[in-house]
Amino acid sequence: MGFRQQILMTLVLMPITFALWYAAGSLLAGPAAWMAGAVLSGLYSSVIASAGLSDTLLVVSAEFGSLNGTIVTAEQAGNELVFEINTRLVSYSIPFYAALLWSSKLSNAVNRFALGLFVLWIAMALGLIVIAMKELMLAVGTPFLEATGVPPAPLIALSYQFSVLVAPTLMPVLLWLIQLRGTPLWVSLQSRLTPKTAE
Amino acid sequence: MIRFLAIFLVTLLVLFTLEMLTPVQHSVIQPFTGGLATVSSMLIMPFDDNVISQGRILRDAVTGFAVSIESGCNGVEAAIVLIAGVLAFPANWRQKVAAIVLGFFAIQALNIVRIVSLFYLGQWNYGIFEWTHLYFWPVLIMIDVLIVFAVYLRWLGNQTTREQIA
Repeated sequence: MGFRQQILMTLVLMPITFALWYAAGSLLAGPAAWMAGAVLSGLYSSVIASAGLSDTLLVVSAEFGSLNGTIVTAEQAGNELVFEINTRLVSYSIPFYAALLWSSKLSNAVNRFALGLFVLWIAMALGLIVIAMKELMLAVGTPFLEATGVPPAPLIALSYQFSVLVAPTLMPVLLWLIQLRGTPLWVSLQSRLTPKTAE
Repeated sequence: MIRFLAIFLVTLLVLFTLEMLTPVQHSVIQPFTGGLATVSSMLIMPFDDNVISQGRILRDAVTGFAVSIESGCNGVEAAIVLIAGVLAFPANWRQKVAAIVLGFFAIQALNIVRIVSLFYLGQWNYGIFEWTHLYFWPVLIMIDVLIVFAVYLRWLGNQTTREQIA
């Protein structure tokens, strides 16, 4: 299969993979949301009370609350700030990756997909962690940024932009390219750089 | 492959960080994004004279519906991915510059289609607008980058052939 057919097949498969992804709801985001929740609750226990998946939303409760418009501890406020993060913002990398991979007709496609999915879940978890940090940074501000282990604000902002704007579409392409090595399509792509013999 | 990936990722991170710097945003990205809105409205005007652009905003004068072109919708991130790929791949500087300039225009051409389509989708059905805006168009733009890069590889191959024949 050449590159042209690959792209056409990807475009044909995309409506199907996206429909399946949408129908699957929280199922495909579950492992990433679980990892993100575990990391957030484990590393920032002084800041985050709980984090868990509700439908396709990662719901993060902070150890902070609002009292007359001022951010104080949840205990003082008598309430908790709760953030709902749309996991689809990062999980749409899965149907894109599936369309790229399945249109390549690779051997051991199921194994490759399972491995790729695992890597994507890790990338998605990192994305969700960063999105949660951005929300906390904007809503809580200094008390959050001064908590132990919280990265500086510019790093959170930059990582957030990268996780939302670049990673969900770039990760599937990189994974797919790495998994293509040694396949006929890879050889076809390589041949684009091989000089043709003059006749 | 490892060398390509290393150069690609470092270039990507450097360019992306530069793009996010406030002075770059103010003096380059935002005026460029405003230009995209102007070009989009100029393309729509012959068919729909209710469209006006104000800075980064494209507005329908009758319905009041407006879209603001923000980071991620201006095609700059996609162009950065392409630039990083081109710079990471072995070629001479003339070839790299040509690929970056032509590739940038190819990405922006599709990006303008994205902006115009979203402007009308938003007026037709907000749910579909959100879906295509957040999930579908970013993927199509990345496929565009992939196609441009593959065309570049073919062009490089042809150039090498011509050089060898000469």
